[in-house]
Amino acid sequence: MARNNEEGAVWSIMGYLISGLLIWGGIGYGLDNWLHTHYFLLGGLILGAGASIYLIWLRFGRE
Amino acid sequence: MQITGHLASSAGFVPPSTSDFNLPPIFGHSAYLTKPIALVFFSVILISAFFILASRKSAVVPSKLQYAGESIYSFVRKDLGEEIIGSGFLAYVPFLFTLFTFVLVNNVFGIIPFMQFPAMSHVSFPYVLAGFSYFIFHAIGVKRQGLIPYLKGIAFLPGVPKFAYILLTPIEIATYFLIRPVTLALRLFANMFAGHLLLLVFIGGGNYMLHDSHLLMKFLSPFSFSFGIIMTFFEFMVQCLQAYIITLLSALFIAGALAEEH
Repeated sequence: MARNNEEGAVWSIMGYLISGLLIWGGIGYGLDNWLHTHYFLLGGLILGAGASIYLIWLRFGRE
Repeated sequence: MQITGHLASSAGFVPPSTSDFNLPPIFGHSAYLTKPIALVFFSVILISAFFILASRKSAVVPSKLQYAGESIYSFVRKDLGEEIIGSGFLAYVPFLFTLFTFVLVNNVFGIIPFMQFPAMSHVSFPYVLAGFSYFIFHAIGVKRQGLIPYLKGIAFLPGVPKFAYILLTPIEIATYFLIRPVTLALRLFANMFAGHLLLLVFIGGGNYMLHDSHLLMKFLSPFSFSFGIIMTFFEFMVQCLQAYIITLLSALFIAGALAEEH
């Protein structure tokens, strides 16, 4: 099971990074389109990346 | 200088494009039987025949065929089943084994003369395979833990301050329900697509250079061909690797659904 956790972590980390950027970046992009602004996308991407890294730390870095 | 001038003046090399992947129907106008579909059906017959023959007369001292069949099986069972999933892995070995052999054979068809087309370079095939894997790992999770606890386990990580859920829950849900199946399919598709395109470039390019009227081009065409051959070996490696990876990831997802510790 040790191998499972390590190998699983590598792939899950990639998935989390992609989805963090995609979800919060996407929300930012939507807000930009809706409110005719141009800073929510950048904010969303940074927020998403940060949240992903936090999530990865919670999942794999805590023990 | 002369070569470039020559190239520019002639009609020129037509680089391979996505249209090279849309092969015409084999009979008449029926879109239901194209080369990729025929190859997929053939692969199923081939795999079934091989493993039925290999396992028909199982002896203590195995024949070569039996040995080959058993070593593929034990590879999937040990390296992908037992080591990744752990206890209770046996129930999922048939799925993993089918997935692995099916993808492997269809990928390797990409470099076998006269077949030379990886069906997985059409994105719909990997999508279906990823769909199976997606359905199975979620079904296992729901069956093991019940629907609500399973979804709760995915969406809400324990031991996190409440406000952080606003940030994290969308990411978790997107990862499990969107990113995982899509990346699973796209990884296989993109590798097969790019690999086939690469071979088309070098072999098609060599062919074009060989038939070019310019003598220097004829002399240079073996370089393109030999690079095509090198790339064929490289592709063989990628094809095996991608069959392994899609099975590995499916096994990891199943293991995750089985062992979600909440």
